[in-house]
Amino acid sequence: MMPDMSQQGREGSSDWTPDTTAPIVYLNGVSKSYGRIHALSNITLGLSGGVTGILGLNGAGKSTLFKLLMGKVRPSAGEVRIFGEDPWKNPAPYARVGFVPEHEKMHDWMTALEFVATFARLHGMTKPQAEKEALRVLDFVGLSDVANKEIGRFSKGMRQRTKIAHALVNDPDLIVLDEPLQGCDPLARTTIMNVIRELGKLGRTVLVSSHILSEIERITEQIVIVHHGKLVALGNLHAIRDRLDQIPHTIRLVGDDVKHLAKDILDHPAVYGLSFPSSDELLIQTYHFGALHAELPGIIVRGEHRVREIDNPDDDLESLLTYLTGGGA
Amino acid sequence: MSRERPNSVWRSLDRKAMAVAEFTLRQQRKRLSTWVVLGVAMLAMGVLTMFYVDAMVRDYDAVDNDGDASDFDQDGYPNGQERLYGTDIFDSTDHPGLLDPPVAPDDRSVWVNEDDFDWDSLAEGSYGVDDDGDCDREDRTASQKDDNRNGIPCDIAVSTGLFGNTVVETDGNVDEDPDDEAYAKEASHRAFVLAIGKFGFVFLLGIFIPLFMATGLIRDEMTSGTMHFMLAKPIARTEVFLYRILGFLGIAWPYMIGLVGLVAVITGFVGPGDAIFRWQDLGVWLSVLLAALFAVLVYANLFCLLGVMWKHGIVLALPFAAWELGMILTTLGAPDAAILRFSVIGWAMNVVDAGAAMAWSDTGLLIAVGMWGGGNGPLEGAEALRIFASDTGLGLAPLPTMIVSLGVLLFQAAGCWFLGGALFKAKEID
Repeated sequence: MMPDMSQQGREGSSDWTPDTTAPIVYLNGVSKSYGRIHALSNITLGLSGGVTGILGLNGAGKSTLFKLLMGKVRPSAGEVRIFGEDPWKNPAPYARVGFVPEHEKMHDWMTALEFVATFARLHGMTKPQAEKEALRVLDFVGLSDVANKEIGRFSKGMRQRTKIAHALVNDPDLIVLDEPLQGCDPLARTTIMNVIRELGKLGRTVLVSSHILSEIERITEQIVIVHHGKLVALGNLHAIRDRLDQIPHTIRLVGDDVKHLAKDILDHPAVYGLSFPSSDELLIQTYHFGALHAELPGIIVRGEHRVREIDNPDDDLESLLTYLTGGGA
Repeated sequence: MSRERPNSVWRSLDRKAMAVAEFTLRQQRKRLSTWVVLGVAMLAMGVLTMFYVDAMVRDYDAVDNDGDASDFDQDGYPNGQERLYGTDIFDSTDHPGLLDPPVAPDDRSVWVNEDDFDWDSLAEGSYGVDDDGDCDREDRTASQKDDNRNGIPCDIAVSTGLFGNTVVETDGNVDEDPDDEAYAKEASHRAFVLAIGKFGFVFLLGIFIPLFMATGLIRDEMTSGTMHFMLAKPIARTEVFLYRILGFLGIAWPYMIGLVGLVAVITGFVGPGDAIFRWQDLGVWLSVLLAALFAVLVYANLFCLLGVMWKHGIVLALPFAAWELGMILTTLGAPDAAILRFSVIGWAMNVVDAGAAMAWSDTGLLIAVGMWGGGNGPLEGAEALRIFASDTGLGLAPLPTMIVSLGVLLFQAAGCWFLGGALFKAKEID
């Protein structure tokens, strides 16, 4: 079933009129320090339209960047503007913003519908309007059948989708998602990625952060890489990525019959090494990560292997950063 | 062109306020700790009320305050009866039975509580009535009958003393054997209403319910990270502060109204008096309720502020509660002390005392007469009432006192909200 893509919302939003000439997101020489720790230094960035991936290792400054945009913290230097307004001083632009925080804690005692509708009312909607809009966005993220279940009983992926629904309820022009894929099962990941791509197609400005390169790669090509609080790269991921493929990578698989899977994979030309750290774990070494990563699902399905987990313990972002910063990451 | 009313700023504010308040209310309702706090508070007030009910239904010994139910000479005639007929109370051969015509001896109980206070005349300033006739006897001189030298024989003079206190001056043997049970019940009843009203509802519940339920209104959301959801909406932080408080009041105020109302109804039926229900207490209960609601309002804003200011703000609330305890004790002895202006409870007590002064204008007289107790005071209940009843502290009439005090409490609440909102606004949230 196709979700409702029309996104006809924004009833009863506030009287604030945005500056249409200003970029949607604009940071000029922004720094943020906590005591002597420099979380961000001298970031200058302007974004309007499309999906942008904010990449960085844990602690690189992605969340700080979002907190500045969402007016949670005050910049130590520089100016932060969304829709031309300073978010620290004026919450009015949030009428057009949707934010998915990374915090796991939610109001577990509420149902998904109550949660989304309650926060929709903070956009000035009446109760019936809010409920109508909440049902629309819950349908959009594929949760309409569990709308009346308590969030406390949701899986991690369902919780993330509820958070995304809550952020979309006001039909925002800017959507900020802080690590939306973290801890989600593969199905939820796919759904969330599809939702994000759809939002991009609808012309919304979407900022999505992650510390996993392959995730961002599946969502967008436009990336911003943050490292040690500095902006190290901005632009098209594929251009960077093609050259990165020459660096060795490890793929980790967890499943019941990894030994049989190993036989099928050994034949692949990109594989140069296999190891079994434990009875249900398989490590694959490859020089052509992109090619193997694309073919791996096919191999697994054809051999009818049962795989519970696939990830990249090498953390390919680190490799990319090593590459970008000339080995000194 | 649109038939609908435009979405004014006010209407959308109104919607946000309702949304946050409703959310807060439901959140509190879902918490076990809320029900534990409210349950314990109700239990505590229930236990106190049971002590009160016990005091009201038990029998009080009728005390023969003037000793004239005794029969010193064992002739069968109580002293009071012998005094009335002028026979010798120490001589068993001299008693009213030997008079012509002979008088039959009274039962001793006739001479207990035989000369009660005459409240109606006392309230007018003078003229007690010598019910048993042992003052206005023919064998006493005019000066013996007018000890208080107001020119009226056998009366009680009630006047206002140098410090605004009530002074009772009596001619001997007038109202000297009051009805102890009636007095004890009336005085204990008033003492209880004031005690549970001031210390139970306004002080204990007024402080502890906000302490447990309002300190975390903002703080808990900040530490758990759920505040991010609310602050990513077009809503100012000062608004969030205010609406959270409104949500808390949505549960605390109906609870207070219910509990005060319940105790008021119980004491109204159980309390002393000829009527089925003591309507005359209504004004006192209303002022207790008003004071409690305003105290909850101020403390909620204050404790929420402390929570915003510092994660462990509850630590700061404890010395403050101790300060308030000191202040409420001060209101009992020195309701006009200037230091009370720097407290919340001092102003709340003014409200209660003003309400009590309006509803029970004769409390001062009741205390003074009870402390005198027919010359053998204090009567049971008089000292308790003297402790818990206070004058209104501002030197104004009761009604202006109440209006000024409620205004100050409102100002204190607004000040805490303003400061708390400003602190919250300047707070960086991780």
